[in-house]
Amino acid sequence: MILLESLNLVKSFGGVAAIDRLSLTVEKGMILGIIGPNGSGKTTFFNLVTGIFTPDSGKVLFHGKDVTGFRPHRIAKLGIGRTFQVPAPFSKMTVLENVMVSTFIHARTMKMAKEQAKKILGLVRLEEKADQQVLNVTLEDRKRLELARALGTQPSLLLLDEVMAGLTPAEVKASIELIRSLRTKDLTIIVVEHIMDVILSLCDRLAVLDYGSKIAEDIPDRVVNNPEVIKAYLGEHYRARN
Amino acid sequence: MELLFQTVIDGLLIGGLIIVVGIGFSLCFGVMHIVDFAVGEWVMLGAYLGYLLVAYFGYDPMVFLPLIFLIFCGLGWLIYPLIYRAVSGKRHNPVIMGLVFTFGLSIIAKGGALSIWGHHIKSITTWLSGKSIMLGIGTVPALRFSGFVFGILVTIIFMIFLYKTRAGIIIRATAQDRDTASLMGVDVRRTGAFVYSLYAGITGMSGVLIGSLFSIHAAMGAKYTTLAFFVVVLAGMGYVPGVIIAALVLGLLQSFVGVYVGGRYTLAALFIVMYGVLLITPKGILRRGI
Amino acid sequence: MTFQTEGARINHTPVIRRFTLPGLLLLFFLSLLLLPLFLSPLWIRIATEVLMWAGLAQSWNVIGGYTGYLSFGHGAFFGVGAYATGILMVHLGWPFGIGLFFSGVLSAFLALLIGYPTLRLRGAYFAIATWAFGELLRQVATILDITGGAYGLQLPAFLNLPFFYYIMLGVTGLTYLTIYLLLERARFGYRLLAIREHEEAAEMVGVDTVSIKIQAFALSAFFPGIIGGINAYWVTYIHPDSVLRADITDFMVVMAFLGGIGSLWGPFLGAVVVQLVQRVLWLVWGEGTFYLVIIGAAICSVVLFIPNGLIGVLEGQIFKPKEAIKELKKKVKW
Ligand SMILES: Nc1ncnc2c1ncn2[C@@H]1O[C@H](COP(=O)(O)OP(=O)(O)OP(=O)(O)O)[C@@H](O)[C@H]1O
Ligand SMILES: [Mg+2]
Repeated sequence: MILLESLNLVKSFGGVAAIDRLSLTVEKGMILGIIGPNGSGKTTFFNLVTGIFTPDSGKVLFHGKDVTGFRPHRIAKLGIGRTFQVPAPFSKMTVLENVMVSTFIHARTMKMAKEQAKKILGLVRLEEKADQQVLNVTLEDRKRLELARALGTQPSLLLLDEVMAGLTPAEVKASIELIRSLRTKDLTIIVVEHIMDVILSLCDRLAVLDYGSKIAEDIPDRVVNNPEVIKAYLGEHYRARN
Repeated sequence: MELLFQTVIDGLLIGGLIIVVGIGFSLCFGVMHIVDFAVGEWVMLGAYLGYLLVAYFGYDPMVFLPLIFLIFCGLGWLIYPLIYRAVSGKRHNPVIMGLVFTFGLSIIAKGGALSIWGHHIKSITTWLSGKSIMLGIGTVPALRFSGFVFGILVTIIFMIFLYKTRAGIIIRATAQDRDTASLMGVDVRRTGAFVYSLYAGITGMSGVLIGSLFSIHAAMGAKYTTLAFFVVVLAGMGYVPGVIIAALVLGLLQSFVGVYVGGRYTLAALFIVMYGVLLITPKGILRRGI
Repeated sequence: MTFQTEGARINHTPVIRRFTLPGLLLLFFLSLLLLPLFLSPLWIRIATEVLMWAGLAQSWNVIGGYTGYLSFGHGAFFGVGAYATGILMVHLGWPFGIGLFFSGVLSAFLALLIGYPTLRLRGAYFAIATWAFGELLRQVATILDITGGAYGLQLPAFLNLPFFYYIMLGVTGLTYLTIYLLLERARFGYRLLAIREHEEAAEMVGVDTVSIKIQAFALSAFFPGIIGGINAYWVTYIHPDSVLRADITDFMVVMAFLGGIGSLWGPFLGAVVVQLVQRVLWLVWGEGTFYLVIIGAAICSVVLFIPNGLIGVLEGQIFKPKEAIKELKKKVKW
C-alpha cells in the first residue's frame, strides 16, 4: 500500500530549481533512505512534504489524499512527523515540556500529555534529562529530543533529516538501534543521511537525489553499485574521505 | 483636468522624496535584518539640523546637504555598534530586539526634540521657496520639483553604487546570504556599520528637503516612519527596485486622497491600502518579500 | 481546582515558582484590598494608576513577551476602550459596567481584524501594522463626530476614588489571574512559548500558530479595552491627545521590558518602578517632555544590558531556598 507519493514536485528559489520534477512513492511500513550531495534538495523535499514550503507545481499525496499546500500543523495532525536538520528545540523550556507541546495534539488533558511525553522520553532514553533546560543539554540529546518531539504527534510517517550527523560512532550505533526499534508496520520512516553505513544497515529502499531530481531508486546494495550514482555522489564522497 | 494634472505631478514629486526615505530603510532590513523604527526620527533630526544651520549661517539649506549627509553618516556610524550589540549575542530573537531598541531610539529623539524646541513649528526658507516652474500644461512649485530631482539623483547614485562598485556588490552579497558572504571574507559587521551610516546620512539629508517643503516639528517623524513602512509593505522587505515603484504609488495615493477626499483621511487611506495588500499578497505586491 | 506545582511554568527559577503559587497571588491581591484604609487620597490615586499600568503592561506582555510579537500600537486598545465606554454611556445611556464589558469585546475584535492579515507573517510586519493602527485611530478619533473630534468627550462625572481603586484592582487582578491560568498553567501558554522559541518547529508538531497568535493578540487587547473604559470614567474627560496619545504604548513597552518580558511578575514590577520614578521626576522637574528621553533611554539600556529585565536580575541574585536545600542535601547526604 502506498503511504506517501510525490508527483512531479518542483520548487525553485530565485530561478534555481531546488527540487526538479521529483516523483517518489513510499510504501507503508518501509524504511526509505534518501541520499544526495549537499544542496541536492533533500531537506527541501521534506519541507515540501510537511507544508513548510508550497511547491511551484506538482502534488503531494498522503494516504492517497492530496495534501499539497496544507499548512504544517494540518500535516502534523494527519500523521507526518519530522525532525529538523539543525535541531530546533524550544530553548526556554525543559526537555519534557518540549515533547509535551507535541503530545498536546492527541492528549485531552495536561496530565495525559505529560504521561505520553514521559513515555516517549523513555523510548529515546532521555527520561533522566526530562526536567533540564534544553539550553543545557548536549548535541546528541538535542538530536534525540528532535526525534522525541516528532514521535510525540504519533505519526504514521516519520521524516528524519540527518539525525546522526555530528554524533560519535558509538552514538550513531545507538541511534541506529533506536530507529530500528521504532519501526513497526504502522510507522513508515524516511531517512536522510550522509553516513552510508547508517543507510545500508537501516533502509529497505534507497533513493538518490542530484540537483533536485531522482537519479536512482532501488534496494540499497544495487544503488551503491550503480555507476551513475557513484559518479554523482558516492565517488566524490569516498574520494573526499580518502 | 488641470487639477488632475496637478495632483499627479504633486504625487510623483512627493513620491520622489519617499523613495529616498524608503530605500535606506529597506536596505537596512535587507542587509542587517534591522527594522529601524527610528527612520522618521532621522528625517526629523535632519530637518532640525538644516533649520539650525540656516538660522546660524544664513546660507541656503541646499548648500549644507553634503555637510548634513556627513554628519548623519557619522551619527549612524556611532550608533551602529549599539544596535549591533542589541541584535547579537545570546539574545534569541534579534529582529525583535532590534525593533525594540530602535523604538527606544525613536522615543529618545522625539522627546529630545520636544524638550529642546518645544511644540513650536519651524520652517526652512530657501531661495526656491515660492518660486515655480512651468511644466507642460501646469506650474509646479520649484521646491517640490527640486525635492523630486534630489530624490531621483540620490536614487540613481545609490543604484550605481549598489550595482557597479565593489562596496555595493559586497553589500548585495551580504543581503543575499550573510553566512556565505562572511565565509567569503566579508566583514559582515563592518558592512553593517557602513550600510547603517549610509542610510542615516541619506535619510537625514532628505529631512532637510522635507523640512523645507513642509513644517518642522518634533512629531513629524511619525509620518515618515509610516510611509517607510508602507513602502516596504508594498515592495516587500529588502527589495530595492520595488521601493521606487511603491514610493511613487504611495505619493500618488497620498496626493489623490489629499485633493479629492481630504488631507485628514490620507493615513486612513494608506492604512486601508496596506491592509488590503497584506490580506491579499502577504509578501508585498511585488512578491519579493522575506 | 487544584494546581500542580511543577506544571506548566514559563519561568523556571524557584523564585518565580514560589511567587506564582496561586495562594500567594491571592494573598497579594487581598492585601491590596485593604490598602485604601491606610492611604491618603493622593496615594490611592497613585496606587490606582500603578494598578492600571500593571494591567496594561501585563496585557502587552501576552503578545510581546510570551508570544514574541511586538505590538507598537497597543495604546490604541486603551483608547478604543475609553472611547467605547464614553460613547456608550454618553450617547446611548448604557450603564458603566455593560459599557466596560463591551469595550473589552470591541478591543479584542479589532485585534482580530488587525491580527488576521499581519500575524500570518513573521518578523516585523506585525509591529509595523499595529503601530500604524495606533496612529490611524488617533487621527480617526480627531475626525469623527461621535468621538467629539479634537475636543473629546465628557463623561458623566463620578467622583469616587475608592470605587475606581477597587474596580481597577479587580480588573488588573483578573488580568493577572487569567494570564496565570491560561499562560502559565494551560497548554495555550506552552504553545505560545513554543511559537516564540521556534515557530516552524511549533507548527511541525501540530500547533496552529496563526490561530494561536491571533487568540493571544485578542486576549492582550481585551483587558486594555476594559482598563481604558475605567480610565475614561475615572478622568471623566477624554480626548485624542489623552487616551490615544502615543506614549501609552511607550509606557507599556518600557514597563514590560524593564520588569522582564515573558514573565508573570515582570510587568508588575516594571509598572511599579516606572510609575514611582516618574512621580519623583515630576516632583523634581515638573511635567516636561524630558521624561520621554528617559523612557527611551530605559528601553535601550534594558535591551543592551538586561534583556531579561529586573526580574531576570533578581533571579540571578536572590537567595533561592529550594536550590540551597538541594545543594545542602547533596553535601550532607542524610
Ligand atoms: N529557504 C531557502 N531559500 C533559498 N534557497 C534555499 C532555501 N532552502 C534551500 N535552498 C536551496 O535549495 C537547494 C537545496 O537545498 P537543501 O537544503 O534541500 O539541500 P540538502 O540536500 O538538504 O543539502 P544538505 O545535505 O547540505 O542538507 C540549495 O541550493 C539551497 O541553497
Ligand atoms: Mg539538508
